[in-house]
This record gives sequence, C-alpha cells and structure tokens, in this order.
Amino acid sequence: MTRFFSTNTSIFIFAFPALFIFTAFVVYPLFPEIVISFQKHNGFSSQGFVGFKNYIEIFSSNSFWKANTNTFIIVLLSTAAGLPISLLLAFLLDSQANGTRRYFKAAGMLPAILSVTVIAQMWMAIYEPQWGLLNSLLRAIGLESLSQEWLTDRGIVIFSVAVAFLWQYIGLNTLLFYTGLKSIPKTYYEAALMDGAGPVKSALMITIPLLQEVIKFVLVISILGSMGMFAHVEVMTGGGPGYFSRTIVYELYYKAFMSSEFGVGSAVAVIYVLQCILITLVLNRFVAREKIEF
Amino acid sequence: MRKNWKTGTALIMSLLLLTACGNSGNTPASEQTNTAPGKEKEVVNQQPVKLKLLTISSDQARQTIMKEYIKANLANELPGIEIEYEETSDVGAKMKVYNASGELPDVFWSGADYATAIINAGNQLNLEQSITDSGFINKFAVKEALKYKDGIYALSSGADAYFTPKIFYHKDIFQANNIEIPTTYDELVQASEKLLEAGIQPIAAPGKGGWAPAFFMIQNMIQIEDPAVAQQLVENKIDFTHPVVKNGLDRVVKLAEMGAFGPGAANVDYGPAKEAFTQNKAAMYMMFSWELADLEANVPDVGIFDWPSAGEKYTPGSAIQFWGSPLAGYAVSAKSKNVEAAVKLAQYLAEQDAKYFTDTGSLVTLDVGATSTPAPLMQANIDAYNEANIKIPSLTVMMDPKTSTEYSNFGSLLMTGDYTSDDFIKDFNDLWLANTYFE
Amino acid sequence: MRNRALRIAIRMLLIIIGIFFIFPLYWMLNMSFKSKEEFYVTPFALPKQWIVDNYINAFQSYNFLVYFKNSLIYTAGTLVLILFLGSMLAYCLSRMEWRFSKYALSYISLGLVIPVNVVMIPLFIMIIDLNIQNTYMGLIIPLFAFGLSACVLMLYAFFRSLPKELEEAACIDGCNVYQSYFRIILPIIKPAIATQCVLIFMNVWNEFPLSYILVTKEAFRPLTVGLANFFMEIGVTDWGLIGAAMILSSLPTMIVYASASEQIENALTAGAILK
Repeated sequence: MTRFFSTNTSIFIFAFPALFIFTAFVVYPLFPEIVISFQKHNGFSSQGFVGFKNYIEIFSSNSFWKANTNTFIIVLLSTAAGLPISLLLAFLLDSQANGTRRYFKAAGMLPAILSVTVIAQMWMAIYEPQWGLLNSLLRAIGLESLSQEWLTDRGIVIFSVAVAFLWQYIGLNTLLFYTGLKSIPKTYYEAALMDGAGPVKSALMITIPLLQEVIKFVLVISILGSMGMFAHVEVMTGGGPGYFSRTIVYELYYKAFMSSEFGVGSAVAVIYVLQCILITLVLNRFVAREKIEF
Repeated sequence: MRKNWKTGTALIMSLLLLTACGNSGNTPASEQTNTAPGKEKEVVNQQPVKLKLLTISSDQARQTIMKEYIKANLANELPGIEIEYEETSDVGAKMKVYNASGELPDVFWSGADYATAIINAGNQLNLEQSITDSGFINKFAVKEALKYKDGIYALSSGADAYFTPKIFYHKDIFQANNIEIPTTYDELVQASEKLLEAGIQPIAAPGKGGWAPAFFMIQNMIQIEDPAVAQQLVENKIDFTHPVVKNGLDRVVKLAEMGAFGPGAANVDYGPAKEAFTQNKAAMYMMFSWELADLEANVPDVGIFDWPSAGEKYTPGSAIQFWGSPLAGYAVSAKSKNVEAAVKLAQYLAEQDAKYFTDTGSLVTLDVGATSTPAPLMQANIDAYNEANIKIPSLTVMMDPKTSTEYSNFGSLLMTGDYTSDDFIKDFNDLWLANTYFE
Repeated sequence: MRNRALRIAIRMLLIIIGIFFIFPLYWMLNMSFKSKEEFYVTPFALPKQWIVDNYINAFQSYNFLVYFKNSLIYTAGTLVLILFLGSMLAYCLSRMEWRFSKYALSYISLGLVIPVNVVMIPLFIMIIDLNIQNTYMGLIIPLFAFGLSACVLMLYAFFRSLPKELEEAACIDGCNVYQSYFRIILPIIKPAIATQCVLIFMNVWNEFPLSYILVTKEAFRPLTVGLANFFMEIGVTDWGLIGAAMILSSLPTMIVYASASEQIENALTAGAILK
C-alpha cells in the first residue's frame, strides 16, 4: 500500500527541500575545507598547494597526539565511567516512590539544559585553587594534601575538564536509561521473583539484557558527543596550560583560527571527520547485530 | 521495547548535540549599528557617503572612545559621511571571514597579529601618499613610528607607544611587612618570599593563554640583565638559545616555582588578575601602564616601580619596553569604493582616539591641540618614560600570527612552575627561527 | 525492615546527588545577589546583603529586550522549519519506498559530526552571496541545516514504529499522500513533535558560533552573543552582574523545560506503548 504513496513526485516533495538545504549549508562547505587542507593558507588567502605537507606536519606534532590522547580519555571516561553510573542511578531511581523520582528527574536534567558557558564558569569557580569550592572542602575535612591546582597541573587538567563534562550529562543519561527501564513489562520481574531471584540477580539476568539496545545506543551517542567536546575546554582552560588540555576539535580550532594555519586546521578537521565516520561505521556494525524482541 | 530505544536514543543524540555543537561563549563581542544623526546639517544636493566601519571594543577605554568621542562628534566633524558600525573584541576573527569573502569594511581596526596577512593579500591600503598630500602626516610627532616596510598602513593616536610594563604595588602591604621597593631581581625574590610567609600572594599577573609572559614578562626579565640582548632579539639578530635570554626565562620560572604568582597562575584571566590586586589579595601587579589611570583612581595605596635590575648593564628605569606597533590603528580597505572618504574617516578616528587619551592624561604622538594635567602617578610614569635611555619595542609585535600564538602558548607553561627554560627553548626556538614577520 | 532502611538510604543518596545537580542554579542565584567585593571574599556562602541592583543593572546595561526578541524569532523560525521539513524528510525516509533511502539516512547523520567552526568561512560567503546577511532568514536557514540531523533521526525512529495499516486505511478513505500525512500521520506523532520542540528550543537558544560570525548588526544579535558581549564589557570581574545576566538568559530554557518535562517523558514512553 505504501508503494501507492511512493510516487516520484511525492518522494521529491517530501525529501528534496530538507536534503537540499542540508547539502547546501552543511555538506557543501566541507569541500572547500578539503581543498584548503592541501594548501598553505593563513585564513586570509592561500599561498599555494603543498601536497600532504599539512598532514605530515600534524602527524609529527606533539599537540595533535596530545589532543588525541585527551579526546580518548574523555571518550573512555564518559563511556566506561559515566554510563555505568547513569545506569546505576536509573536502577536506584526505579526503586523509589514518585516524589523522589520527580525531584531527581527535574534536578538531573538541569545541567544539561543550561548553556555550556554557565556550566564551565561554575566549574572554574569550583576548581579555583585558592578560594574554590573543591580545595576549600578538602581543607575543611583535613585532606589538604589532596588539594590540587586542578586546571593548571599538566597531569590533572584533562581529568578536571572531563569531570565537568561528564557531570553535565550524567543526569540526562540516567533519565534515558530510566525511561528504558520503565518500559520493561513488569511480568518479567514477577516471573523472576517466582524463580527466587533477588533484585541484583534480576537486574543482571533480565533488565540489562533487555536494556541492551538502549545501552548500545547511548554508547554510540556518548562516544560521538565526547569526540566533539570543545566548548568546555575553550571556556575553562583555553586548551592550556600549553596544549595539555586540547581536544581534537580544540586543536583544529587552535590551528585554523588562533595560530592562523588554516590549511593545517582544515587538515585536522578532515582527519576528525574521518575518525567520526570510522567510529560510526564500527559501532554501527556492532549495534546493528540482532535485537532482542519481546 | 525496540521502538522505545530508538526514540530514546534519538533523544539522547539530539541532546548530546548540545554538547557537540555547544556554544563557546567566552569569545566575546559587541557590535552596534547606527547611523550618524544630524543629517539636516548636510549641504543640500549632497548624498551622504555610506561607509562600513569595524572597530575594536575590547575594553572600557575603547567603548568610551566609541560612545563619547567617535559617535558623538561624527555629525559635526564629518558631515556627509554615514557609518554602519560594527564593534567586536576579536577583530582578527572577523577580518579573516571578511577577507576570505572579499566583503571588507571600508575602515577597520588593524592589529599587529593579523594585519600582515591582510597587507600581503593586497587588501590593506598604503596610506602614505594620501596623508602626505593632505598634510595629515605632519600632525604626528614621530613619523618613522608609522612605517611598516614600504608604507603606512594604519593610523593611530600613538598612545600605545607610551604604554610600558610596570610593577604596581600596595604601599600598605609593603609597609606592614617591612618590604622596601626592590631594586634588584634578588630583592624581588626576597620580597616575594617574605610575602609568601605572611600568607599574601606576592604578584598578580594574567597567565591564561600566556598573556603576561608573552606580552611583557619574558622580554623584561631579559632586558633587566642586558637591554642590548633584548634589542637584538627584537631585531631578529639572535634566538632564544642566547645565554642571557635563557637567564631571563629562568627568572620567570624561579618566581613561578616559588609560587609568587599564586596557585593556578597559568589559568588566571586578565580581569581576575587585576581584581586580585585591587581586592588587596596580591601585593604586586605586573601590567602595562594603561591600567594606571584606573588603579590610581580606585586603589588608594597604589604605587609603581620600575623593573628591578639583574645585571650591571641595567639600572631600574634605564631601559623600557614600549607597546605600540606601526600596524595597530585604523586601516582602510584597498577595495573600498570610497577610498577618499574612507581615508578621511580613518584620520578622524585616530584623532578621536588621541583626544580621549589626552583627556585621560596619557601621552599621544598625534597632535590634536588638546592638553590636560595628568594625575601624580601618571606624571611619574610620563617622566620615567622620558628618562629612559633605551626604548625597546615589544617582541610579540615582531612575530607573525603563528609565532606569536605559539609564544603565548608555551609562555603559559612557564607560569606553571614545572616547565624549565630548556623545555621552552626546545619547544619554541624552532618556531622563532621560522618566524616570517621580517621577510 | 531491612528493605525499608535500604530504600530510605537510596532516597537520601538520590537527594544528595540531586542537590549536586541543582548546584549551578544555587550558584547563579547566589552570585547574582552579591556585591562584587563580597564575591571575592566568600564566593559560595549566602549573601550577607541581598543586592537586587545587579538585576536592574544587568537589565539596563545590556539590550536585553532586543536580544530576547531576536532569540525568540530565531528559535521559533528554526523550530517551525525543522519540524515541518524535517518531519517530512523523516517520513519519506522511513515509510516511502525508494532506492536511496538508507543512504540518505546515513548522509543526514553526517550533520552530527561536522563541526560548525570548520565550515564557517564558506558558509559566510554563501550567506552574503544569497544577500540574506543580517536578516532573520540569514541565521535561521543555517541553524535549520545544522539542527536537522538530530530531528530527522529521532522522528525516523518514531515513524518506523507506526503500524503500516495507517496509510492503508487512509488510502481506502481516499486520501492522497499529503492529506494522509498531514491529517493522519502527523497528529499521531504529536508527542515526538513536542519533545523535538523542547530539544530544538534549548539547542537554538544556547547556540553561539553561527550567530557570532554570521550576524554582524547589533539589531539582529541573539541573547547568547549579547551575553558574551556583556561579560566582556564589564571585564569578567563583576560576578554579581554576570550572575544576574546568566539567570535572565537561562530563565527561558528553564521555564520551557519545567513546563514540558512531563511531555518529554510521555513522548519517550509513547514509543513503547505504540508497540
């Protein structure tokens, strides 16, 4: 029957306008960047083609590899640490009465709806070494030895920024997991209870397998979202000290717009987009495996 | 279930976009548009010339100049010119987009960090001929200071040339801790030690993005040992492996290591650094003299002193670094359709700048026939400027955009205290050798 | 008995974690009532003296109403455009039969990973060539293009969950494709549309890089750019004013979310119910 509706005209009318604007304003502008990535370009004008020189320069620069490591750390933290925490919170939330639930849902979403500028400014105040909340708290409970220069210590800075980033979206992920939990039919649990399974066992045996589609997809989105992390770094540290808290997108921004090496920046952009496409393909293969129906 | 995860995950996807494409709100800008009032005064039959102007609005001084001078006086002094204003704190970013698109404003604020690229692209007009013909050039006290390579590409009040890095201090804090004004670098270190023991942050300076190290600290730490070396560096005759240069870097590192700049100094912005000083949290403040007027008015016990000495070739005040660059000022687009009117506008803008700075007691090189009596500290600063035998331009304005950005970048690491002069030389010297500014 | 104790413990834990999430709201509010001096002495404690002037100053010293109006226009315009064209595309991809629909879906996903900053210059040139710079359309269209992917992907999932019989019934009733889409299909996915409204609103309201570069006239700037400009003007030192400005500009998103949070949840669970 749908075939009856799928005439060339109707497909064209439904698909063309959005696809056209998307192509014109998002995809098409990418092509000049690909060309520029093979040029020596200062952002104002091109100084001619240089072949793969920009790419070679990137791969031999410390800052690019640091940016990759940092991005990897953030991706790893938001998936390996962030998602389990969100999932656990969702379970805890599921066990609670309506009032607590409503409160937590409203609270958890708040960081996600505020602008990154506000969130990043707040975390800067928390991390401030002299009067910041974190160090003040540590001093107050007698753990002064643990206080740090959170945003200027080369070894720590990327974790400090990552925590701020993670924190902003943990409530949101919790909410999404929770919504998934809610839609699992209660009959499954009743059956499990009759078999004598405790809450932990039923969570492991029933809920997580049934939630796996949600989990997989949150995983995909978390990975892509943290790949593109930029604004938190920009506001909190400006990539510093030196290049020690740059992410890949910050590195491309730094090269293209701050140090006026537009060609090099464009090359970083091309690499970044390729990385994202690659990750999406790999994850798609993994995610697209057979789904559990019930 | 299967459907549910799809909607759910799509929701996450769209929400995470908030992160991915999230805003980068700390790139500040302000822009305004309006047209000059008072068109009634125009000569009949004369169509107003419409010009686009892109100016800098990075601080309060700039905003005052815009509001109370440029906009206020336009109708009287330049009848027949109608301006479409755009103000931003990041002119470089804007100009990149305009330059690439070919849509340049008729008149724009030129900065040393991006002007070379616009000049090389042939888009910034050489003003030498037209201001020589009109005689405007004669209003400048130091004409050579306008020259960049073969011509004159920007007109400014010249106030920049009188801005020098100073050390501000709280007289009360010094007195309470029995500290004399340091005349040598070692005394500065001792004073800092004393202050640290007393639980006071010795020095405030903006370290984020390497602001203070790059704009003045490294250079001054070099020239307090031997001004000639700083001069050679500025003239591109030596590089950062020179022993005196290395000593200078070590002086920054030493202060950072002992914590003289306070914890987390490498991430302190311009505003908070100044605030640490005005709120009496830091005893000293290293900054250019452009903050002088404001501090003198608002900090009762403020004093200034010259950079202390670290060698026999320099005594405090004998050599100074000055800020100005021939490329900082108002520039005219070579592509403007109304070049003549645009040049007039650039001249007018430089004059308004000069009026503001004269009114606030600063020195300018552009004579606008105005005078004022400076406040005591301001006068002391002017005297110090006149007494200095050696005046060295700023090192950062002698760098192309890439070099100066990387200079700041690695400079910020010096403020962390666990980055040595050798690290800096290893990281930065090759970049310095590749600097294209002098080509 | 042990169960009850456990439940109470969990509740306490959730409440404490919740407080941690609400902290930014406290932080902003608290800051907005403090004087500049007090902020530097006790940044996190409650204000000793509550200063309302910060709000009055923030309201007066930056063009709040103009920016606010612009933000509303951009947000509303983008919203309508994305929902209208985006839902049509999603419908077409999920329920019409054509050879390239799978590829088109992957193609649209590209929008999720292309960084705005990278394509800024070509985009700017295009806006000038189209002669729509400094018009509302000049920003709405790029915002639409960059916001499209997320919306299409979500609605795609929604349309897929609808039973095929819907169109068949419509067909029997003699509707053409357009009638069946606008009269039958679209009303059914109302919850998803409502969710998208909220998401797009929050996304566009907080957008910065596109608005910063593409709009060059004050009269057309949205709140985010105005706010950043305001931070700069007061020198990022007067935290009281900054707090007040933050509250003023975050208020709309908070209101929209508060009034629509139930709707979002309904939309999320609606997917399950439909099955």
